[in-house]
Amino acid sequence: MQIAKSDIGQRGAVLTLDGRLNMVSAPQLKTAVTNAVAEGRSQVVVDLSAVTFLDSSGLGALIAGLKAARQASGDLRMTGANEQVRTVLRLTNLDRVLRPYDTVQAATDGW
Amino acid sequence: MAGEYHVEGLAVPESLDLLHALLDRVRNEHGEIDPTELMLFETAIIEIHGNVVQHGRPEGQVLYTFDLEVSEVMLVGVLADNGEAVPDLSGQEGLVGEDAESGRGLGLARAALDELGFVRRDHQNTWRMVKKRTA
Repeated sequence: MQIAKSDIGQRGAVLTLDGRLNMVSAPQLKTAVTNAVAEGRSQVVVDLSAVTFLDSSGLGALIAGLKAARQASGDLRMTGANEQVRTVLRLTNLDRVLRPYDTVQAATDGW
Repeated sequence: MAGEYHVEGLAVPESLDLLHALLDRVRNEHGEIDPTELMLFETAIIEIHGNVVQHGRPEGQVLYTFDLEVSEVMLVGVLADNGEAVPDLSGQEGLVGEDAESGRGLGLARAALDELGFVRRDHQNTWRMVKKRTA
């Protein structure tokens, strides 16, 4: 999986992923969020527009990232979730905790 | 089960790609299958195989076979492995906290399927996954 990072504002970062977010790539996402938070960018948007598949390991990485961001007084929001990703969130009752936003702009609204 | 589709090998993280490729074949060759039902089936298969990869022992040496059969009324997947241990069956009921980073796999698979069965017999673990077709 490729993860591209772009900074927004003083405290924000957009992580753009592609491919499958699964047990192979989940550690990469955790590291990317940890690094962004360590740089003082705890308002993290994870752009999943090019993610084709999410499994429970990937979900775990998103939860880990959410906790890391919130511990640094930030947040983790995601955007671009396809139907499979939204279904996994719904079936695991995490769609309220990790609410998908339609666009990066909508995700960063209010930051 | 003599499946319409078959794949086998070592249960390692890279084998997830083989299962995805097999599901892509099914998607291409059976355009009549409801895409959402096939997506749910794929989600469950990957979770169950991921469980074998993660918890199978000896780690990295477990052999698996996967067979998939398409009928007019259902999709059936059978995943068998020769792991020494019974897989971790926790999390089947989805009773994990919102902030838990693991333990959702089996609950997710169960929610995505119509039937999920497990049996350990003759030193082999066998999972049977069923997704009924409504289209």
